[in-house]
Amino acid sequence: MPDFFINGQPVTAAKGQTVMQAAKAAGFFIPTFCWHPSLSVSGNCRICVVEVEGEGGGGSWMEIACNMPVTEGMRVLTDSDAVRARRRETLQFILLNHPVDCGICDKAGECTLQDYHYEMNGLPSVSTVPKVHATKYFELSSRIVLDNERCIVCSRCVRFTREISKSHALGIQNRGDASLVRPVESRDFESDPYSDNVIDICPVGALLSKQFLHKARVWYLKATPSVCPGCSRGCTVDLWHRKAEWKLNALDPRENTAIARVTPRENPEVNGPWICNKGRDLAKIFERPRAEQAMQKGKPVPLGDAIADARRLIRESKRPAALVSSWGSNEELTAFKAALGDRVECIVKSDWQPQPGERLEDDLLIRADKNPNTRAAQNLFGSEARLVPADSDLVLVWGEGASFADLPRGAKVILLGSYLAPENGHADVFIPVSIQTERAGHYTNFAGVVSRFEPIVRKKDGAAHAEQLFAQLTARTEALA
Amino acid sequence: MNTIVSMHHLLPEFEKMKQRYPAGFESSLTLPCLRRIQQERGYVAEEDIDLVVEYLGVPRIQVEEVLSFYTQYRRKPVGRWHLQACRNVSCSMRGAERMIDHLAKRLGIQPGQTTADGCFTLDHVECLGSCGTAPVVIVNETYHENMTVERLDALLGELK
Amino acid sequence: MSGRKLLMSFPVTPTSHLLAEVRARGGYQTLQRVLTSMTPEQVTKEVTAAGILGHGGAAFPVGRKWSVIHLNDSQPHYLCANADEGEPGTFKDRWILENSPHQLVESMLIAAYALQVRNAFVYIRGEFDLPYRRLQGAVDEAYEAGLLGEKILGTDFSCDLVVYRGAGSYVCGEASALITSIEGKKGYPRNRPPRLTVRGLYQRPTVINNVETLSNIEIIVRMGAEEFRKVGVAKSPGTQLVSISGHVAKPGVYELEYGTPLAKFIYEDCGGVLGGKKLKCIIPGGISTKVLTDADIATVTYDHKAMEAVGSQVGSGGMVVIAEGTCMVRLLQVMLRFYHHESCGQCTPCREGMGWLHRIIDGIVAGRGRPEDIDAMVRISEANDGTTICGMGDAAGFATVGIIAKYRDEFEYYIANGRSKCGGRLEVDVAEQEAAHA
Repeated sequence: MPDFFINGQPVTAAKGQTVMQAAKAAGFFIPTFCWHPSLSVSGNCRICVVEVEGEGGGGSWMEIACNMPVTEGMRVLTDSDAVRARRRETLQFILLNHPVDCGICDKAGECTLQDYHYEMNGLPSVSTVPKVHATKYFELSSRIVLDNERCIVCSRCVRFTREISKSHALGIQNRGDASLVRPVESRDFESDPYSDNVIDICPVGALLSKQFLHKARVWYLKATPSVCPGCSRGCTVDLWHRKAEWKLNALDPRENTAIARVTPRENPEVNGPWICNKGRDLAKIFERPRAEQAMQKGKPVPLGDAIADARRLIRESKRPAALVSSWGSNEELTAFKAALGDRVECIVKSDWQPQPGERLEDDLLIRADKNPNTRAAQNLFGSEARLVPADSDLVLVWGEGASFADLPRGAKVILLGSYLAPENGHADVFIPVSIQTERAGHYTNFAGVVSRFEPIVRKKDGAAHAEQLFAQLTARTEALA
Repeated sequence: MNTIVSMHHLLPEFEKMKQRYPAGFESSLTLPCLRRIQQERGYVAEEDIDLVVEYLGVPRIQVEEVLSFYTQYRRKPVGRWHLQACRNVSCSMRGAERMIDHLAKRLGIQPGQTTADGCFTLDHVECLGSCGTAPVVIVNETYHENMTVERLDALLGELK
Repeated sequence: MSGRKLLMSFPVTPTSHLLAEVRARGGYQTLQRVLTSMTPEQVTKEVTAAGILGHGGAAFPVGRKWSVIHLNDSQPHYLCANADEGEPGTFKDRWILENSPHQLVESMLIAAYALQVRNAFVYIRGEFDLPYRRLQGAVDEAYEAGLLGEKILGTDFSCDLVVYRGAGSYVCGEASALITSIEGKKGYPRNRPPRLTVRGLYQRPTVINNVETLSNIEIIVRMGAEEFRKVGVAKSPGTQLVSISGHVAKPGVYELEYGTPLAKFIYEDCGGVLGGKKLKCIIPGGISTKVLTDADIATVTYDHKAMEAVGSQVGSGGMVVIAEGTCMVRLLQVMLRFYHHESCGQCTPCREGMGWLHRIIDGIVAGRGRPEDIDAMVRISEANDGTTICGMGDAAGFATVGIIAKYRDEFEYYIANGRSKCGGRLEVDVAEQEAAHA
């Protein structure tokens, strides 16, 4: 465990650490473009150069921190005049051919280059020669657009496809200042389910999400912690939507509450800094047309009537069964158990199955179980695969994925659902319920890690929160909120 | 429509090449295999990349990057005679610029182009390690040293 | 001629490179002696005692590089001869490859024995055609004669040698780029640490030496370190193959004993400046080395310390003679165009800086130069000094700063007048040149 000094302060480093790693762990700031804690060291951007004081009166020397092993007693300066001067020079080089696109670049506001320029350089370019031009809008895939002029060739994206997603789908063609990030010509990047992570790790606005392109300035948006329901990994994510003070009156009000983008929420226990593309597309799941109207056999009824009718059906049933949603939160599942667990034959349902073309499972993040809370559901209701007993006279179906054709003929059906679907009209009673973006709660992932999600929007007026609903379905009194 | 001739017949040669390398050096064969293919076909085709990728088990992107990085690889055919004239320090000091201008005029093309009849491609290149016999022009693989305008004319006459 | 000859010690004929004649001259006897009566440690000890410095440009003590290799560490070691020879003005390794390839092969075998190397490589630049055929021919002859492969000369020592052809990239002459190229990838240099002698080719301990450096190994072991040190001078033992070109009467490859007066070499052995013209300057050892004028040359001896004392270096041994009347602005333009073309593009200062320098000097040559351009080029050069992954960025900077320092007036003239002070000349005597080639 070497002890060394940063800016005069003693720091203890773990064995084998670089100055960069030890400095970050101890809370010191060293700028980086190409270095990333989850990727191999490339050492090409040169912005992380620090000064090391010579021993015994010898001169000091400058070297990149990301590749410098910590040695006992070394004295590192991260903010000396020499270091600052070197950073200014490095930024001059990086900005030499960099287009001043900030006004139209999505990365503005969260751009490392922008931030460093303001903090460390802030001077106009000293160049008098024209900038080198390159491709401005290159379709890296159907999801990601690349601007080669903005690219600083840090190679993070390339290393990501080599080391993390292992798709080997990106490379750098040519050499010198003609270097261009390019996808492999066999188009493997299109089928890399982790492709969009390169957007996050790109330190500039070279790699941008097509679905987010020019949608909003990042400072109009706020990030709300959530959990991806795409599989049992339960990656923690940030859901971004417009802040209240930035809402647009002229637009369709749904724009003000819609999910603008989804990014990973760093989580050492679960997903590290990554998520898969399915998580990026959560709007496709959460913003499907919603069921907002309670019904009885397809006839619209007030919510209260539907709940009362459901309560009656449950009370009158002799052999009730329930298909429990593996998308229910820990809180909802607990409430279900408390209200109905003794009364009803509860079977855990896999709401979602793997889709054709979807990766089943790998050793990075993606799990075969495409539901977020199977573990909590199974903890409460058992894990053997069972069919709804053929003699059930009532089936309470909670959540998606049940085929009415598989339910016992003659059984009454109470359906609790969130999205518009043909089955909604076939159920004896249909009650719309809220989704995870409309309430707070927790999921338990496959390994038992519990993660929290928070709401970004109020629930629909015509829908109920399932957590409160379950008690109402077995309440003795007729009094309802 | 040209049907691409497969380079599968080179695989036994590649196998012999592989024997000379230690185990685990498959990736190293990328450069020599591409060179051999280009020697045979005149350039490296898409199908050749697929062949090398399958034979060596290297990522396709590695082969694509290698082809774009090194100046000697071509992904398109060149003329029957590929003239590469050095224009670096010593060659420039012994007349390379005059040689290149002369070739461009005689052939009616600029460096980087091929004559309409597909006979000659002209390129300028950097130092070829032949500075003592400057100026130097490579024709396909062969060094032509101590070039003068007269010698170039004679050479072009021979090649036609 | 200037001094004793160790490498260019036999008359070159169309067949003198072939194994039969090599053996007749005593070839492979040293290898025999090494394999049968010396230990690997003894070989390295001899090489270290000889004090030989690397001949690729960096002049690093060879014995010190070799000593990092741990013998008996139960992992493969690799040896690579650097035959990339891309430095403009340098073509001396080519002499060895074409005319004395067995000298290299035998020396590499001795080095492989000393370093416990089972697989050795020669990385030869892709453009070299005859040198490659001669070298591969020698390797094939050696295999045929049991001098390469399994159980060499009936001993337990086995070694395979692969001649690996490059494909057109100057930066692959840099040791870490060279081995990355041998790994089948782009020639991207690597950051150090780790040193290549710790983790090199496929992350194994690797020694990379220049062709000429290695070719001296057999000579050192044959003569013994003490005798070897009698050639040359104390801090620069032995000889240097020098390739000389440009405005010189007798261009070619010469072997110089270290310590030879440089003026004698240039004016006597090489016939002085082409057409009897006055000398403007020489680039002594690769285009990044500081130019020397007559005043410097008059007193300097050709060895490392003396060359450093006049502010320059032995470097790669590639000398370029520049006659008076040559436009140094245009010459620098040729160099910067070269560096721009060859930059691998990995690290910021070189990737952006080479293009920047090139575009500035193109502007000057086109008559669009600005007064601030000169200081801008110096600033860019200084910002590449010690800041890059490999030495190429530094080299371009040294060339730029060196030429501007000595010939600033030519740059100022070009910028002020929109044209060269020397008529834009790079050639100085066309008639004389044509005569020389006749």
